[in-house]
Amino acid sequence: MASLAQYNGVLDRRKAAHLLRRATFGPTKEEIDQFTGLSVAQAVNTLYEEQLAPEAPIDPNTGQTWVEAPIPEERPEGHMSMVLGWWMDQMKNSGANIRERMVYFYHTHFTTKNDKVTDSVAIYYQNALFRQFAVGNFKEICRRICLDNAMTIFLDGKSNIKGRPNENFGREFLELYTIGKGPQVGEDDYTTYTELDVQEAARVLSGYQEDRTYANIDLETELPTINFRGNGIIAGQHDATPKTFSERFNNAVIAPPVEEMQGDNTTIEGALDELDQLVEMIFAQDETARYICRRLYRFFVYYEITEEVEQDVIEPLAQTFRDNNYELQPVLTQLLSSEHFFDTDNATEVDDNHGAIIKSPLELVIGSMRYFRVELPDPASELPAFYDAYRSILRSLNDQGLDLYNPFEVAGYPAYHQAPSFNRNWISANFLALRYLFIDNLMSNPEDGFVLDIIDFVRDPANNFQPAEATNLVQALVEYLFPEIITQERFDYFIDTFLDVPNSPELSPAEIQALRDQEVINWGLDWNTFINTNDDTGIRTSLENLVNVLLQTPEYQLF
Amino acid sequence: MKRRSFLKKIPIAASAPIMLNGMPISLAAANSQINRLAMSSENDRVIVLIQLHGGNDGLNTLIPVEQYSDYVEWRANIAIPPIDSSARRKAIALDNTLPIQEQVGLHPDMIGVKELYDRGKAAIIHSVGHPNMNGSHFRSRDIWYMGGDYDDQLGSGWAGRYLQNQFPTYPEGLPDAMMPDPPALEIGRSVNLLFHTGQGIPIGIAINNPGQFFDLVNSVGGEPPESIINSYYGQELLWIMGIEEKSNQYAGRLKEVYDNGSNSGVIYPEKYPFVTNSAVRNPLTSQLRMIARLLDGGIKTKIFLAKIGGFDTHADQVVDYDRTMGHHAALLYHISSAVKSFQDDLRQLGLEDRVLTMTFSEFGRRVSSNGSYGTDHGKAAPMFVFGKGVNAGVFGSNPDISPEAMNRARFNIPFELGNSSGGVDRIGTDYRSVFKAALKEWMEAPEDAIADSLFNEVPDLEKPLIGGTITSVDNTFFENRFRLNHAYPNPANDEVTLSYYINNVGHVKLSILTAAGKLIRDVVDERQGFGLHEIKVDISDLPTGAYLYRLETSSNKATKKLIKTK
Repeated sequence: MASLAQYNGVLDRRKAAHLLRRATFGPTKEEIDQFTGLSVAQAVNTLYEEQLAPEAPIDPNTGQTWVEAPIPEERPEGHMSMVLGWWMDQMKNSGANIRERMVYFYHTHFTTKNDKVTDSVAIYYQNALFRQFAVGNFKEICRRICLDNAMTIFLDGKSNIKGRPNENFGREFLELYTIGKGPQVGEDDYTTYTELDVQEAARVLSGYQEDRTYANIDLETELPTINFRGNGIIAGQHDATPKTFSERFNNAVIAPPVEEMQGDNTTIEGALDELDQLVEMIFAQDETARYICRRLYRFFVYYEITEEVEQDVIEPLAQTFRDNNYELQPVLTQLLSSEHFFDTDNATEVDDNHGAIIKSPLELVIGSMRYFRVELPDPASELPAFYDAYRSILRSLNDQGLDLYNPFEVAGYPAYHQAPSFNRNWISANFLALRYLFIDNLMSNPEDGFVLDIIDFVRDPANNFQPAEATNLVQALVEYLFPEIITQERFDYFIDTFLDVPNSPELSPAEIQALRDQEVINWGLDWNTFINTNDDTGIRTSLENLVNVLLQTPEYQLF
Repeated sequence: MKRRSFLKKIPIAASAPIMLNGMPISLAAANSQINRLAMSSENDRVIVLIQLHGGNDGLNTLIPVEQYSDYVEWRANIAIPPIDSSARRKAIALDNTLPIQEQVGLHPDMIGVKELYDRGKAAIIHSVGHPNMNGSHFRSRDIWYMGGDYDDQLGSGWAGRYLQNQFPTYPEGLPDAMMPDPPALEIGRSVNLLFHTGQGIPIGIAINNPGQFFDLVNSVGGEPPESIINSYYGQELLWIMGIEEKSNQYAGRLKEVYDNGSNSGVIYPEKYPFVTNSAVRNPLTSQLRMIARLLDGGIKTKIFLAKIGGFDTHADQVVDYDRTMGHHAALLYHISSAVKSFQDDLRQLGLEDRVLTMTFSEFGRRVSSNGSYGTDHGKAAPMFVFGKGVNAGVFGSNPDISPEAMNRARFNIPFELGNSSGGVDRIGTDYRSVFKAALKEWMEAPEDAIADSLFNEVPDLEKPLIGGTITSVDNTFFENRFRLNHAYPNPANDEVTLSYYINNVGHVKLSILTAAGKLIRDVVDERQGFGLHEIKVDISDLPTGAYLYRLETSSNKATKKLIKTK
């Protein structure tokens, strides 16, 4: 049976790498080595080490940030890509820490599309909200996302007014963000809620409008929040009549407190009180915790939730979530420390989740850049080039099927919700080939604004490679880059491509092995020649071939 | 550039016990494929599906003429002016021969659909949906793609299962000489649930450009691993390897077919010709043009999927100063004009007999509009089917949008409604009935393939979907709507009466020509309305002999012979 009991051994390299791959944006070799030998509690605690909130992005044209005193209606085109570049830079620099993983998780969960929002400031502050709540209280962020400018713009909050509700946000709040849509069991009845509840939720959420001056600040988060339509005291377009929910919510009635009513209207306080009631009502349902735990499980562990996992993992995890008033950290700790996560809860290997998730393009790209320590232009001195480099990454991500902050569906990127394939949706004929092309370009396309210098990498003392020893080098790379061990045959294929070993059907295996041994020796000589002469012509191509043959593989697409 | 291992088989895939993907190739299956290939070589027909992403507003696509006052009542801020309005842009009367309660107006930007309809190449199916329609985009789309009921959770699509039945050796056994192409082709970057088979990789691939795809696939990658461990990890590896293998196998062939094919020179629409802030570019043009070219080049793919997005019109569906203009108008124009060009292209390429085109969307929209010039999620909505093979006309009835009906249906066009005796009346057409008819009548799918598509339980359509000018000599649809009658008297001497019937409002030209086709004079050259028109023509000035008289409207032409005597 699957078990959430804490894994009590120390982390070996495979387990350390597994934890780091899933809980961060991809480890360096050094980080894997640091985590190896730690207890799971030590390792997981390290993931939560507090990090400073990043400085806001700077506009190279002014030398200042534009998000703090934005000018309404003035949104230069390049700002959106700067915010996204700035965000990816947080991922790239996040180290062995879970925070940016959770920011990305929130983005996959609370979808917003920048081509509808078209406001870099709104996107920036939404992203800042995600970061502030990275391992915070999920119920709280659900409440705050309702008052988030980007979300309000995206789901037509402004046109949801009393007497003429727009259900767009109310529907997604139930279906996607909180309780989730259960099986349909009758007309307009989705087990967890009904169409009536969508309509009533929409009325609870009515009368909001985005504040494009970003001057209205939530005093607790110190982040901008929406306005209410009205005079600043009365929520003039909020539907203040009572909302009666279906039996799925025990026929709960939500209405403003009597003291907040002014004639037919309620005050802003009254409308906010209704929002609190709505959130409390939804989180009082057991299913809400289960739904969110399933989302976390799919993100961190594996996409398929078997009956056994539902019973042994999701159910107790959801209980932890409820018991801790929807704080995320206890839930994440329990999941990432568990015997189930490390596959020590049973003897069979079939259900081992090591390496069982297909990387998103973001995990492939940022993970590769982190592992290989690819340097980008320094934002302090080369800010335009820094943004341009991230723009080329954005284009590549888009080619690979991830249009960042712009998923095709309101439900988000298909990898996180589209049954039955989930993360397999990242792989199509096109997407896969363009992933491989990214690897190619990583070493050969300096016009992208960054380049992996593979010689520098294998010589970097932090990696502790022995580059003169070909077999040793390939072994070290394979062990840290791939989630699972490979066969000797596969290993030989990598060596042969690296060292250009002739491989003809005319030759016997023994003859090929002899040639291979010879090339391994030659490599050592070539490397020493390079050290002595600094002439890298021969070895650079070989090393680039090695990286290509290792990374343009099905194995490297998994983590 | 690295050399790739073309046509390399993955040994593990065929033999490994863990193989969830890929089904074992039994002798029976192989035999069955041979039988099918014999059959399918006779049927070279294809289906082109066009998915309208976001939920199309059916009620501004097809306006119920007789219920116009209710229509305006529910959606004053987005209502299209009626057919008899004096407005310059207003609903287009689809078909004057329909009973008055079934008359429909097309959105003014659907001229192309009207022309196809008049030529007997379009069918309209009212109120298509399924029991218990829901308001979720992605759940609803999944249902349409999977071909299931509202409570089904299937890991495969109806087209995927149908094609797997027809090509049971896919993926291991294909491509082969009989089926050198992917059984399904999606225009785009990734493959939809529609083409998943539930057993492994999808039975189709997605591309945007065959040339670029070929170049790309040939410039990257390496050899796949040869042995796979039995674990979740191994299953994902197999998935990736399966897709990689198929893309290697098909890239060259698709490029070859594309290079061998060409379009006819028919002009496809690139942009919406009127002012709009959004949806300016026609996203279907490049997709349909490519499909026509691949077909011309000899592709044997059976089902194609093209897509157009932007139908989730919660806000600003129309512009506030003109209800016939705006985002939704542009989208309908794109569909109508691109399909018209596609059909013309196919005709000129000699492919018209082989292609059936169908539109669908996850749901319709609410009958009552909202305050932001838009509509929220609704339920049933119309489908369009195009092609020379279609049994042209209207299927089903206009939805009832009276206040009583709307109170019962909560301002939706329902697929079904509760009745007074506690049961449920079906009002609309089940989407599966439409796809079933396409498979059965058009693709001539055998019973077991229909069973695999999971459509065997759904009722058949009220009348055949396929008919029209391909399979039958019965041309009454066309003749009931456009007809040039025999001249009377004929032969004639001084005066002859010419009469004709037309089914659209527009410019009409009736001309007298020499027997060799040279124009003598136009006797009618003006805008005319529906119905029978008759004109007495003085021919006393013409020398005796044989002449032609010719009727021309925007969509049709007919010519007959006239003899002048002394």
